[in-house]
Amino acid sequence: MKSKFEELKTIFIDSVDKNNYVELESATYNYNILETSLLKPLKMILLYGKPGTGKSMLLNKLYHNLKEHREIHYFDAPILSEKAFLKEIYEAMSGQSIPDNMRVNFDGLLKYCQSLRDKREVVFLLDECQLYSEALMEKIRLLSDTRVVKFVITLHKTEDEDIIAKEHFKTRIWEVIVMKNVTEEDLQLYLQKKLIKKGFIEVSNMISKKDIKYIHYMTNGNFRETNKYLYTVFDIYEYYEKNNPKKISTKKLSKKILEMAAIRLGYIDA
Amino acid sequence: MRKKIEELEKRWYRYKLKMIMVPLGSSVVTAFVGSGGYYLYDKYYIHNKPKTVVLSATKEVNLPKVEAVKLVKTEPLKDTKKDDNSMLLEPIIPVIDLQKEEAVQYVKKSLPKRHEPHKRLVRAKANDYLTAKELASMSRVESVSSSKPHVMKRIKLQSTSVNYIETMKEKYAHSHSSRDALLLAKAYYKKGAYSEAEGWALRANEINSKLDESWLLFAKSKAKMGKKQEAINILAKYYIKSKSANAKALIEQIKTGRI
Repeated sequence: MKSKFEELKTIFIDSVDKNNYVELESATYNYNILETSLLKPLKMILLYGKPGTGKSMLLNKLYHNLKEHREIHYFDAPILSEKAFLKEIYEAMSGQSIPDNMRVNFDGLLKYCQSLRDKREVVFLLDECQLYSEALMEKIRLLSDTRVVKFVITLHKTEDEDIIAKEHFKTRIWEVIVMKNVTEEDLQLYLQKKLIKKGFIEVSNMISKKDIKYIHYMTNGNFRETNKYLYTVFDIYEYYEKNNPKKISTKKLSKKILEMAAIRLGYIDA
Repeated sequence: MRKKIEELEKRWYRYKLKMIMVPLGSSVVTAFVGSGGYYLYDKYYIHNKPKTVVLSATKEVNLPKVEAVKLVKTEPLKDTKKDDNSMLLEPIIPVIDLQKEEAVQYVKKSLPKRHEPHKRLVRAKANDYLTAKELASMSRVESVSSSKPHVMKRIKLQSTSVNYIETMKEKYAHSHSSRDALLLAKAYYKKGAYSEAEGWALRANEINSKLDESWLLFAKSKAKMGKKQEAINILAKYYIKSKSANAKALIEQIKTGRI
């Protein structure tokens, strides 16, 4: 049988799963903008933000919520080969599979899309678009110009980004949703909801406001970093639970363990 | 796992020790430096009190008694003989014999004033002016040369913008340099083809993002195409990054509608 902390740490394993989605005010706000944008005759929608701000999670939730109601396809991993990408698009739209020895001609695909104008509207959700080549992004834009295909794309925001390029790219995109790291209050809600959802109410009560402040300071309110950090915290808890249970309290989160986890992850230089 | 946790605990203890020792150490150092400074101040400044010696000397000198002046003068000299090192550190005490000074002043006043040379006068330089003969011959030469009208030579430069753009495009195809891309952007901008100008400015910027002019041309083209807010946003972001005065000036120009 799994120990309490062994089970607890698994809920902080970073994964894009709709069951792990936590409703937060900021996330709900962004989700509503995204869903409303899809109803408008927009061609491209950009989800933009630093890694770990919840872009993939939002895309995944959108896909699962809408897949029953409209034609929607989700490419969670980037398809870097142009040939494979066009094939996937065509197969998704036509419902036919293309043999491996054949390829989809881009002009042909464009004409095929144009022939479907005012008849169908297909949505493609593309994650990690910063990995696509510029040429492929240009083709995506041309496909979206047919108004038959809509793209929702996610881009990582890097520290040394080229502002002009982004601005130039923005002009071709109709809606930009910027995803940010969460505040201390949202982080508290995120952790509480996540723990309560999995039945760890007493653990949720262990985390004080001071602890939240410390966690936020260490992770900058980034979801991915927070998950990684709490996984490490409860991994250390699991060790003590098995080997030296006297050293841990079940009433409040140990500052020592929080600091030890921060040292292990390199947040603190020791 | 056990070893890992034990190692982690050791690192944590070291961290906690550092957290305690660093502020403690710094406060000890501050206290030491502070007390050391005070000690030095106390030893070399307050006890020697060079300024008070001067004051007391001047006070004494005001009195007609000469002995008092002598007493003050000899005191620090005795100390310097005792220790050569301390002599170097001690300040020089400027003691003035006021009686002697007064006597000198009186003599100076009684003497008739010497005529001082005018301050504005400048020492004459060696004469290197031309003689009358030389001057006459020079004026003759000048009058001969001045009789000829000066003709300005004008070089006609002719090129069409289309030729220039084509040439530059060919050049860019070989060089792929940011400068050529920028020149093309400028040419298109002058021509009024702002969309092309924007594209070439972007290309120049992609090659060299530190090129000030590429940002400015990109924004100017955008502004000319009616996207003023977008142009201002770009310039503002660039200004934050580079602090370029040109960018700031351009923002003003766009805001005031001069572009």
